[in-house]
Order: sequence, then C-alpha cells, then structure tokens
Amino acid sequence: MKKRRKLLGALLCTVLSVSMLAGCGSTEAGDPPAGEESDSNTNSDQEQVQKPEEDIRTISLLAYSDMELPGLEAVCELAEEKLGIHVDIEIVSANDEIVQVRAAAGELNDVVLMNSGAVLSTVHPEEYFMPLNDEAEIMEKLDENYIQSVTLDGVTYGIPQASSQAGCVLYNKEIYEKYQLEVPKTWDEFVNNCKVLEENGETPLIGAFGDAWTSQVLMLGDFYNLNAADPNFVENYSAGKAKYAENDSALKSFAKYEDVLDFYNEDYLSTTYDDGCQKLADGEGAHWIMLTQVLGNIYSLYGEEVTNKIGAFAIPSDDANVNGLTVWMPNSVYGNKQSENADAVLEFMKFYLSDEALNAFTAAQPPVGPYCVKGYEIPDDAYEAVRVDMQSYFDQGTICSAMEFMTSVKGNNAEKICQEVASGLTTGAEAAEKYDEDSYKCAIQLGLDWER
Amino acid sequence: MNKKKIYPLAFVWPAVIIFVVLFAVPTVISFYFSFTIWDLKNTVWCGFDNYVMFVKDAALSASVLNTVIYAIFTCGLKVALGFLIAVFLTSNIRTKSFIRSVVFFPTLISSVAVGIMFKAILHPTKGILNTFLSLFGIGNIDWLGNVKLALGSVIAVDVWKGLGIAVVIFIAGIQSIDRSYYESAQIDGASAFSQVRYITLPLCKAARNSVVTLAFIEGIRSFELIWAMTKGGPGFTTDVLASTIYKQYASGYYGLSTAGNVLMLLMVVCLAFPLQKLLNRGGVYE
Repeated sequence: MKKRRKLLGALLCTVLSVSMLAGCGSTEAGDPPAGEESDSNTNSDQEQVQKPEEDIRTISLLAYSDMELPGLEAVCELAEEKLGIHVDIEIVSANDEIVQVRAAAGELNDVVLMNSGAVLSTVHPEEYFMPLNDEAEIMEKLDENYIQSVTLDGVTYGIPQASSQAGCVLYNKEIYEKYQLEVPKTWDEFVNNCKVLEENGETPLIGAFGDAWTSQVLMLGDFYNLNAADPNFVENYSAGKAKYAENDSALKSFAKYEDVLDFYNEDYLSTTYDDGCQKLADGEGAHWIMLTQVLGNIYSLYGEEVTNKIGAFAIPSDDANVNGLTVWMPNSVYGNKQSENADAVLEFMKFYLSDEALNAFTAAQPPVGPYCVKGYEIPDDAYEAVRVDMQSYFDQGTICSAMEFMTSVKGNNAEKICQEVASGLTTGAEAAEKYDEDSYKCAIQLGLDWER
Repeated sequence: MNKKKIYPLAFVWPAVIIFVVLFAVPTVISFYFSFTIWDLKNTVWCGFDNYVMFVKDAALSASVLNTVIYAIFTCGLKVALGFLIAVFLTSNIRTKSFIRSVVFFPTLISSVAVGIMFKAILHPTKGILNTFLSLFGIGNIDWLGNVKLALGSVIAVDVWKGLGIAVVIFIAGIQSIDRSYYESAQIDGASAFSQVRYITLPLCKAARNSVVTLAFIEGIRSFELIWAMTKGGPGFTTDVLASTIYKQYASGYYGLSTAGNVLMLLMVVCLAFPLQKLLNRGGVYE
C-alpha cells in the first residue's frame, strides 16, 4: 500500500513537472502561426510576383505602429518585383525597449526601423547592427548631416527611411491673411501675432499635450537659435560641462513656454496629436509648433487643398538676423548584423536608396522635408510648406540638425518636463534645471563619465 | 520516519520548482542587477549609485508621495463605499442579485480598457461627463489635464473599477454573521443603524482586513490604469512609483529601474506588514 502511494506520488510529480514544461513550450510552439498570420497580410500582392516562387528570398522587418509606412510598403512591393526579396513587415506597438530586448535575446528581425540620433546609442549598435562604412555605394549617397545622426564611434549604421522634417511653427495662411499678419522674424513678433489673434477671438496656438511628446517640439526646435548663439553648446553638453540652467540661450528654449502659456486652446492638456491635426486643418487654431510630419497626416485625411493652406516658419529667436530651421533626421533602416540573410538585407538597403525606389516612395508618401539622399530633389508636387517655406531655409543654408542627432545624451523625461512647464506648474528655469538632472541620469546610464 | 516524509515531499516539489525558477531566482538576480549599469547583455558594477540616483531624483519624491496618496484614498474609499453597498445588498431588497452583478461588473473589464474608456468620458470638450454637466451650467472641467484634478480623477476611476471585489468580500463577511445576533438586538429594540454599527461592523472585521490589505497593496502597485489614462502626466502630477520605474525601463536604464523595483518591493513590505499587524490587533472575531 505504502509503496503504491509512493509510486503514485512520484508519478503525479512527474506529470506535474512535465505539464509545466509543456506549458512553457507551447507558447513557443504557438508563435510561428501568429507570425504567419501577419505574413499573409503583407502577401496580398503575390499574384504580381514575376520571379518564380523558389527564387523569392524573405527578410523580416520590424516597424513601430506609430510610423508612417505607405512609402516603405511601396518600396517593399517594388523590391519583391525587381530583386525577388519579399519583405515581411512586422508592426509592433511603439516601445523603445523592444529592439534592445530582441537583440539581447538574439531574436532581432533582419531589418529594423528605428529612430536615428540619441536613441541609437541605447541599443548598442556595435553589437547588433550592420556597419555600412565599407559600402561605398551607400555611403556616397548619404547626406553628411544625416550620416552624423547614425554614426557612433566612426561607424555608420543606417540609411534614411523617409525624408527629413523640421520642428517649426506651422500656421494657417488663411487666418494670417484675414488679420493681415506677417510671418514673424523675432520671438516678440510671434508673441504679438498671438496677442492680435487672441483679441480677435481666434485660438492663437494649438497645444496637443495630451500626447506628451508633442510638448517638447518647442524646446527641441529652438535648437537652431541656441546653436547660433553658442556653437560649442552641444559639445560641452555631451561632455557634461554645459548645462541648460546655466546658459542664457539654452534657458531661453524653456522660458519660451512661459510666454505663450495663455494662447493655447482651452483643452490643450487633453488634446491629442490627432486632434491637433484636425484643429490645424480646420483653422481652429492659427499656429501649431510641431514637426512637419503633420502635413502628411493632414494630406491623407483632408487632401491637398487643405494641406497647402498651411505654411511653415522656423521658431523665431530674439534677433531678426538669426532665423533658421531645426531639422529632424528621419527614422533609419538598420540591418541586423547577425542576420542569416545579410546579403539580401544589404541588397535591399542599396535598392532603398535608388532613384526608382525613392520615386515609388514619394508617389506613395509625399515628403515632409528634403531627402537625406544626395542628388534626389524634392518633387514639384510636394506640399507648399515644404517646397517653398522649408526649402528657402535649406537654400540659404540656415539649417541645423536637432540636438538629439548630434549627441547621444537626451534625458528621457524631456517630454514630461516640457509638458509640466507648458501646464504652468513650473517655470522655465525650474524645467531647465530638471532637464539637466535628467540628462545627467541618461549620461550615467549610457556609461559616460560625467562629473556632478 | 524518513520513508513517511517522501510522500508529501513529492507533491511539494513541482510547486517549489515553479516558485524557485520563476520567483525566487529572478528576485535574487534582480538584487544583483540593481547594483549595476545593465544593457541586458553587459553589466558594469556601480555599487549604490543607482539607489542614490533614484532617491535623489526629484520626480521620485513626488511619485512616492503620489503613490501613498493614491493607495490611502483608493483603499479608504473602497472600504467605506464597499461596506455601505454590501450592507445595502445584504438587506431585503428585490433586485439584490441584479445589483450585485452590476456592482461586480467593472472588476471584469481590463484596467487598460477602463482607462481608455474613461479618458474619452472625461475629455474636457468632447467627453460625455462634461456634456452632462453643462446641462447644469457647470463649465468645462479638464478632469485629466488640470494638474490639481488629475490624480483625483484617476483615483475615482480606480475606486469605480475596484469596488466590486470589496463589495463581494464584505457580502461574504456579512452573510457569515449569525442571524441570532440581529434577532436579539431587535428584541432589545436596537435601531437599524445601531445594528450595523454594533453588530455588522465589528463582526465583519476579518472581511474588512482582507479588503484593506488587498486594496492598499493594489494601490501601491497600481500602474495600468494610470498609464492608460494619463501616462503619469500632466508633467509628473499623476506619476506613481510603478510608472516612474516603467519609464526608466522603457528608456533602457535597466539597472536603474531594477533598483527602483527593489525599493518598491521594500516599500510594499514595510507598509503592508505593519498594516496587517495593526489591523489584526485585538484578534479577529469568528
């Protein structure tokens, strides 16, 4: 009897352990079908495939749900036709950490779409991303400012996924005409324009701080002015020597929030980015300090006519002679260094920069700024704000990359700190101090040797 | 003697293995990682730097305060409202079982869904709540955008969502009270209020203690609802410990966020155990 019990105990124990292991295993086994499902979504154009089935090579691509992908999808379609490379696009919700986690687990996709600039250094590209320095065909096409944003310790990792864009003031030209306002050259003129609009019952400035990230565009977009006043700031900041709170020009970037506090739409702390697009398109607000990617959204929602009602000017400085645009580098296409399909990945990246691929891209997704590819110009049918307003800054050479594309240090709470100062809770000076503290934290976590 | 022991041990092993592999080992490892700068692959030992940085962080002290406020208010309101509703639902009313399921229903919805739903309801210009209030001439209130109201709004939603559990536990507690106490009280001429005050309240102490402990720990660990509704904003006004830690994790500061988690664990332990002691003081009536 006793023996039987013992046996039964041992048996149950085994069953429990095995079923536990099986439980762990089943999630793994369950994964591939899920992957195949997303596969079939992107496969819709299989009939057009000219190459025989067995010649088609497949590479996987990781993208975030908040990226605009019509252009990329058009290029991928073309790549399947011309190169016989099928790109399997996997879209995940927007989390910065997913690339790090997958890379560390050795499960990174063949191709990754991700930010350029400061974010790059947090994923340790030297271990996971394909270096492109030896690929002359790619390197010679890339714009120098862009190269800087995807280069770490002299190694370049990415190619531009879309056109560049600017962080600037987008304004409704009809409202400007109605009140006979002029594009401001200084910050005071801008504030005055806002006052005039407010007196006339218009909403002078759109705030969409329900999505916190939108709040930082004023601070980050003011970088051209900061850089013009103190060209060494970035370098000193990266070394931990320059501080926002101790530099008058840098402080000004945060103080600007205080000047415009009264001009926002009533529900600006709950308004989302999408609501903001609608407000700008409908003329419910005269200005929006935003990235020009908004034009793409408005175009796809409201069409060309509405989009061309919108103009753009750089965030003004105190000096009418200092007037330039802060440019955001596009997201980049990175190749996985450990990929089994490295050849196909490289071939795809080269193709991505070819004129025919760029044409297909532009047809599907009009650019929101100049391309970072040498010799490829903005087409004639681009949005007016891009073709006329933004281009004039590029023609004059008064442009500068945003700070996050020149240094790997960017405090992770920037958006919250800006949201806070924009809600009137803190002053610009306090926000600058908080941001310095935040940057210090970032630098230490990146392993930089900053002193207190 | 030894032979006798083998039998129960065999049953314990699977549970022990699961516990050690999935809980004990990660906890111990996380203590190590909290002393390093960690990028998921390489670690650099940095001693107590992470802890110092976490404690010095200005956003942190605000988030600790918010966590405590959040835990106290959600817990207090759940206990008070939960008890009142439970008393109501154990009385002789007709639609009892229907109301019981209605009260319990919010508990079944995922926190994130509740958060997104209430974000829409509380929208200052388009939300249904303000549309309703405007009928009474009450102006636009930005429930989640106003820095003074945001935390209160989230607390209210949390209470709405978590009330069901409290009510169910209280109902179980109240129903286990012997009816004869009430009968003798009625014979003595006790009013309905006195019956609740002197019989129901003390005799469902065990249920109350469970509710307090559960609600309080849940309050300290709260995250999903806050993240879905405000992401800790505007600024840092609704940031709690868990959301601060999550933001650091999302930025790739793995060592720092692990240190935060260890601190949170200590905080839960330091608050929950004395609370338990305090509540069980004087024994539990059965």
